[in-house]
Order: sequence, then structure tokens, then C-alpha cells
Amino acid sequence: MENEMTLSFAAISENEALARMTLTFFVAPLDPTLEEISEYKTVISEAVTNAIIHGYEEQRTGIVRVHAILDGREVTVTISDEGGGIDNVEEAMQPMYTSKPERERSGMGFTIMESFTDNLTVDSRRGSGTTVTFKKKFSPVQEACSSVG
Amino acid sequence: MNYEPKGGIHMNHMTLAPGGIVIVRPAGELDHHTADSIKREVSRLIFGGKATGIIWDLGNLQFMDSAGIGLILGRMRDLGAVDGGTVILNPSPTMRKMFELSGLGSHLAEGTEEDAMKRLGGILHGK
Ligand SMILES: Nc1ncnc2c1ncn2[C@@H]1O[C@H](COP(=O)(O)OP(=O)(O)OP(=O)(O)O)[C@@H](O)[C@H]1O
Ligand SMILES: [Mg+2]
Repeated sequence: MENEMTLSFAAISENEALARMTLTFFVAPLDPTLEEISEYKTVISEAVTNAIIHGYEEQRTGIVRVHAILDGREVTVTISDEGGGIDNVEEAMQPMYTSKPERERSGMGFTIMESFTDNLTVDSRRGSGTTVTFKKKFSPVQEACSSVG
Repeated sequence: MNYEPKGGIHMNHMTLAPGGIVIVRPAGELDHHTADSIKREVSRLIFGGKATGIIWDLGNLQFMDSAGIGLILGRMRDLGAVDGGTVILNPSPTMRKMFELSGLGSHLAEGTEEDAMKRLGGILHGK
């Protein structure tokens, strides 16, 4: 199965659910397990929320762009913003690192993304935005009786 | 001790049980967009001086991202909670992984809300 999609939307928090839903629909033909889908949704939510909160500092005029490619049972998703960017990506990806502790952020977004994907890259420069790309492989479809463990 | 959740004050998806234990049952999807309203409600109880512990029953929650982690950690700070003022029930397998990654694994518990209240009561009274 091969497919491709692009979605652009305003940097407002309502659109986090829109991105999760659209990208879930995109992989639905692969019949992923419940757990695979919920991990995949979580990663999308983390990256889109980061673009809105950190990239655009919640300025609604910002545009978040999502691109996805389906190749066999693997999806590659790119989520990008043209916001403030990250000075030190390595530091930003450390567990518990957050630049907004006062906003109830836990600094776990990147750690969760890494743990729920097969591959994660972050490309960012101060002043020129951030691009997060991840790959996730879905397990082969199970036969009739369920596999939920 | 007889814990009777029905005797508590009912709000949206929140109960204040005897002993000052707040039971929060978020439903639907918990993300950056939806976390704020739950935060306001729980905080109101905490700063009203009524709450001593919180049980997060996630059985009706369909989705949660790191906003949920921030929400729970933030309320632990509000409580000034020594470890143990917080119990998390019924997370999905994905949520469980996130709690474990975030160092909240020790707050996960099996069993019912009543079991969790006993556990909290014991902790709060130093038993
Ligand atoms: N798109 C982005 N643009 C600018 N800075 C970013 C972006 N994404 C992440 N960052 C920076 O990286 C830090 C770490 O991100 P991460 O998602 O791990 O934690 P957080 O968003 O601060 O907290 P949490 O995700 O747990 O709510 C952020 O605090 C922010 O400084
Ligand atoms: Mg984040």
C-alpha cells in the first residue's frame, strides 16, 4: 500500500485533535493494533503541540505543516513549523528538559516520541523553525482471533 | 472506615470524598487543549484547602499525551504532596508506558477506587 498526504493548519490548540484524527485515518487501511494507533497518535500530538506552544508561542497566525507517506506497513510523518526554532536540539531532547516549566510542561515530549517510534529526527535552527520526522512500522495483520495482550 | 463516593460533592467528572480525597475521572481526550479546564477544577478544590490526596481514574480516558503528565505533576506540586498523595488507576498500556518513562510508575495502582482510597488514607495517616 502506498499513499501520501499533506495537511496545513493554523497553530491553535483545537487543531491538535484534527491532526491526530486525520493521520489516524491515513493509516487505518493497515489495520494497526489499538496500542500501535494510540502510540502513533501520541507522537503526533507531542510534535504538533510543540510546534504550537514552543515554535509559535501560541500565535494563531503560525502555520503547522504535516506530511505523511505510507510505504508498505511503514509510515513516515513530517511535522514542521516556521517558528522560533531550537538553540540546542541535544539538550532539548533530554528527558525532563523544558523551557516552559511554568506552563505545566513536563519536558517528556521528545522522550515519549523516541520511545513510541522506530526512528525520530529533529532538524531545527534558532529563528528558522523546526522539522520533526518519525517512522513507525505497524505489525503484520493478525489472524481472526485477537492478539490483544 | 467506610468510604462512600456517593456522599461526596459531584462536579463535572470529579468527586470530593470524605477525608479530602479528590477522585478525578477525565473522559475523552486529554491534550494541551483540554488540560486547562480539568486543572482549574482540581486546583479550586486543592486551594480551597479541601484536598489531601488525588486519585486519577483514567478508565474513561480515550487519549492522553504529555499534557496529562504535566497536569498530574502540577497537581502533586499544588498539594505539596509528599510521595504518595497521588494514585493513578486504569491507564491504557500506552499511558502506562508514559507514566513509567516520566518517573510516575510508583503511583500506578491496581484495583478499585475504594482500594486506592484505603491506600491513600494509610499513606496520609502515616500507617
Ligand atoms: N517546534 C519547536 N519549536 C521550538 N522549540 C521546541 C519545539 N519543540 C520542542 N522545543 C523545545 O524543546 C523542549 C523540549 O520539548 P519536549 O516536547 O520534550 O518538552 P516540553 O514540550 O517542554 O514538555 P512536554 O512535551 O512534556 O509537555 C521544549 O521545552 C522547547 O524548548
Ligand atoms: Mg512537548
